[in-house]
Amino acid sequence: MKRLLVPLFALGILLSACSPVADDGTGPIKIGYIGPLTGDAYTYGVDTLNGAEIKVAEINAAGGINGRMIELVVEDARCTGTDAASAAQKLINVDKVVVINGGQCSGETLAVAPIAESAKIPMMSGGSTSPDVTNAGDFVFRNIPSDALAAAATASYLQENDLGIIAIITENTDFAVGFRNALIEAMGEDAVVLNEVVEPNVKDYRTLVTRLQGEEFDAFIANGQTVATVAAMVTQFRELGLDQPIFSNNAVVSPSFSEIAGEAAEGVKVVMPPSQGANAAKFDAFVETFTELHGPAASSITYAANSYDVIGVFADAIAEVGTDGTAIRDYLYNLDGYDGTIGRFSFDGNGDVIGISLELQEVQGGDFVKVGDIAVD
Amino acid sequence: MTQLLVNALIAGSLAALIAGGLALVYGVLGVFNLALGQMVLIGGYCTWWLYQVVHLPLAVSIIGGLCISAVVSWFCFEVFINPFYKRHRFLPLVTTIALSMILDGLILLFFKETPKAILPGVKNTFEVLGAHISPVQIILVLTTLCVMAVLAYVLHSTAFGRKVRAVVQHDHAAMSLGIRAPLLHRFLFIMSGVFAGLGGIYLGIDQNLTPVFAFPITIKAYAAIIAGGKGNIWGAIICAYLIALVEQLAVGVQWFGLFYIPAGYQQTVALVFIIFFLLFRPHGLFASRSRSA
Repeated sequence: MKRLLVPLFALGILLSACSPVADDGTGPIKIGYIGPLTGDAYTYGVDTLNGAEIKVAEINAAGGINGRMIELVVEDARCTGTDAASAAQKLINVDKVVVINGGQCSGETLAVAPIAESAKIPMMSGGSTSPDVTNAGDFVFRNIPSDALAAAATASYLQENDLGIIAIITENTDFAVGFRNALIEAMGEDAVVLNEVVEPNVKDYRTLVTRLQGEEFDAFIANGQTVATVAAMVTQFRELGLDQPIFSNNAVVSPSFSEIAGEAAEGVKVVMPPSQGANAAKFDAFVETFTELHGPAASSITYAANSYDVIGVFADAIAEVGTDGTAIRDYLYNLDGYDGTIGRFSFDGNGDVIGISLELQEVQGGDFVKVGDIAVD
Repeated sequence: MTQLLVNALIAGSLAALIAGGLALVYGVLGVFNLALGQMVLIGGYCTWWLYQVVHLPLAVSIIGGLCISAVVSWFCFEVFINPFYKRHRFLPLVTTIALSMILDGLILLFFKETPKAILPGVKNTFEVLGAHISPVQIILVLTTLCVMAVLAYVLHSTAFGRKVRAVVQHDHAAMSLGIRAPLLHRFLFIMSGVFAGLGGIYLGIDQNLTPVFAFPITIKAYAAIIAGGKGNIWGAIICAYLIALVEQLAVGVQWFGLFYIPAGYQQTVALVFIIFFLLFRPHGLFASRSRSA
């Protein structure tokens, strides 16, 4: 009998591991993570995962949520919708996660949204800025402002500074075209003297810049999707003797921009979600911990901070209302404000973040530095 | 207008370097090399590495980059082309697609996806006849023209050039006259790799290098050699410049004083132009001269 007991016991453990039930109030609370850990966009994935892991470690070190530890279950979605969808299926059906941090790319988030919606699992992104995420679903939240806001803020800055006539070259990607549409909608068709869309990865813009030599305009918008294309745009713009101020979008915020574009990068302005909101002390502490553990951010520290706060606000929600998805969703919609590293924020009826202001950054001496705050209406 | 011509010279020289090398291979071996764009990037990236990371002088880096291009294309020829192209001329089509994916992966692995520029920043430009051009660009364009002139001299005025032309016209007949055609094939493939590497260095100096850039380069080079006529190296080079000029004019000129063609169609316009031309001259723009090439 004794010889039988051990295998039976082992079998019992195996069976219980094979068929997990919905959260039973014991054991660790599982939080899913979906992001691009490999592929072209891996820098966002690495930073956001590191940010999330730091918060999880801090919560667990402080005794967890009501005594239960948090376990982060990580899935790589390579910035693609298909991979994100299978990652979400696995997290929800196999791992039985309570909430999901992700996706990070807008394409990931849009693919995960319907799956999370039908399983009633709240998800929150710290990196997806596509305007489409706004209406992606009832369980979809994000704590990074939509591109539509950044474009509208760029437009109002241009108008307030007598830069009302613009020329814009746009790379043909969802992100850049969305930015252009929102910008032109805010400024009006009459404000644009040149509005051209080029195929992705083209790097010879001299024809278009040559046309600009004969035009009267106040500012040039280098609206590319990658550092490589925007760098080529701004260098060729300067090389052909044009001296108008240049604006771009947040895709270009990276140390490699001025490494490639050199002096042409100087003075380029972009509107970014702030890396230092109202809670500067919290943010600085986070940056210190992050840098100590992982060195400088691979993309921008903002994405890591957003991801850190995603875990933070989820942890507060679970501590307050438990692990039921619908209850967590309602908690988030009714949230007064969460004091995160990126500022005090809450969510509107679409799950879009409220309270995160934007700031104007400019390249000075090779680095992007903050030159002013921009109010968001 | 002058600026558009200068733009076309800059873009055309890049295309001509790559297309010239490709025309050698396609004309002589009849092989489609779809990994050409990756070979372009390897030349550019290796030069970047030698110059920006190892800090060798620029001239040494360029020579080093070209040597690495030669070695890589030799290796590629032995492994991915030589065992296959005699069996069927379309077999290398498959093997070089595989090669292009392998090289894409290696480029990503070694150089990461952040863009690299061999000479970063703004080149100081000056104005000639209303066109802005930088000394660096003048050097690039002149170097390309010199390389083309040397190629012309070698092909037309040396014993080696006569052998190449003999192999272009008839492989087996040339072999029966004692020309070592297989050796020549190998040499020409390596040469095309070096030309591609030169194109990559041009790209890395004038613009910047990113791993995803390989395929558009390949397509443009093929457009040039097809429009130029099979086996016609001059046709390919002239067509490369011509395509660049058509691209500039299509988007840079206000047509009939009324409208501009959208920039997204820049490449399409050039390719449509080629198709239209081929309808009337199916053997390419310069096909009639290829017999005496």
